[in-house]
Amino acid sequence: MAELSDITNEFIRDEIEEFVERENEKEQMIGLYVGVSDDLLKIAEALIEGEDELVDELTKAALDAGTPALTVMDDGLIAGMALVGIKFRENFIFVPEVLSCARAMKAGMAHIEPILSDAGVEPVAKVVMGTVKGDLHDIGKNLCIMMLRGAGFEVVDLGVDVSPDDFIDAVENEHPAVMGMSALLTTTMPNMGKTIDAFVDADLRDDIKIMVGGAPVTPEFAEDMGADGYGKDAMSAVSLAKQLAGAAASA
Amino acid sequence: MRDRPSNEEITQEAVQERLDRLSSMFGTMMDSYSVQTQRRCPYKNKHGRCTAIFGCRNQRKPAVKGDLALCGGDDKINYASAWED
Repeated sequence: MAELSDITNEFIRDEIEEFVERENEKEQMIGLYVGVSDDLLKIAEALIEGEDELVDELTKAALDAGTPALTVMDDGLIAGMALVGIKFRENFIFVPEVLSCARAMKAGMAHIEPILSDAGVEPVAKVVMGTVKGDLHDIGKNLCIMMLRGAGFEVVDLGVDVSPDDFIDAVENEHPAVMGMSALLTTTMPNMGKTIDAFVDADLRDDIKIMVGGAPVTPEFAEDMGADGYGKDAMSAVSLAKQLAGAAASA
Repeated sequence: MRDRPSNEEITQEAVQERLDRLSSMFGTMMDSYSVQTQRRCPYKNKHGRCTAIFGCRNQRKPAVKGDLALCGGDDKINYASAWED
């Protein structure tokens, strides 16, 4: 049976020793990392540390050296994220750290996605996401983006304080199947409706499926403002995006 | 190194299996998020510093200029009420 000491990367060994308390999970982690090459362990290490530039560099190097893309995903990126999930659950790290790790994952996947695409595996659909004008709260949006990317969507992040014109530009330039708007404040929530109205005025409303979400948003408000769907949280945003993307594809 | 096949063909199914694993991990993280945010501001990092790009009455000036603000919230009250528009 493999032992913790069989993992060749000291950082990973220390992380498991310090942060993984449940015996069955410790065994799982050892199983994930034992026998993995040093270059992939370094990718996992950089991801756990949230170092997106390093993950970018190391992933590119591993692929250039001939490591198969799925192996890089398994033994570098996904293995790293498995440890991140445990550290988050056990309150050793918090949302900002998780989002840094998600950014690092994205940096690695940016090199893998073209390889998947060349093999005929395309993203589920493209989504543009932004927090509406006047609102600077980005965690809900960022968690949705993390979930959507994890589910295989290509996501264009428009950031925060996004004006109706910027949403329109993004839809015209990126041609997404779905657009997501987030708002956390009751004072900025009406800007979702104003953005939808701007799409109607620009004669673009039929070109895009629009989903909305955020703490003060309700299904009724979403319907009243003319959105195509409401996601109560990041998990339901993924299901909704799949549903809307399917509807967009068949329209 | 590892004794499982490393040259698995890239197929829709192979990629989907990995995406399913990732989605499952992220789903568990969302459960952790729901629990954690009931007693800790999601913008507060592991060093107790504020990562928000908006104002909050709990932000305390950092000792070193350019560092993230310290979070002065006690996590016992509804932290979101301190957020400023």
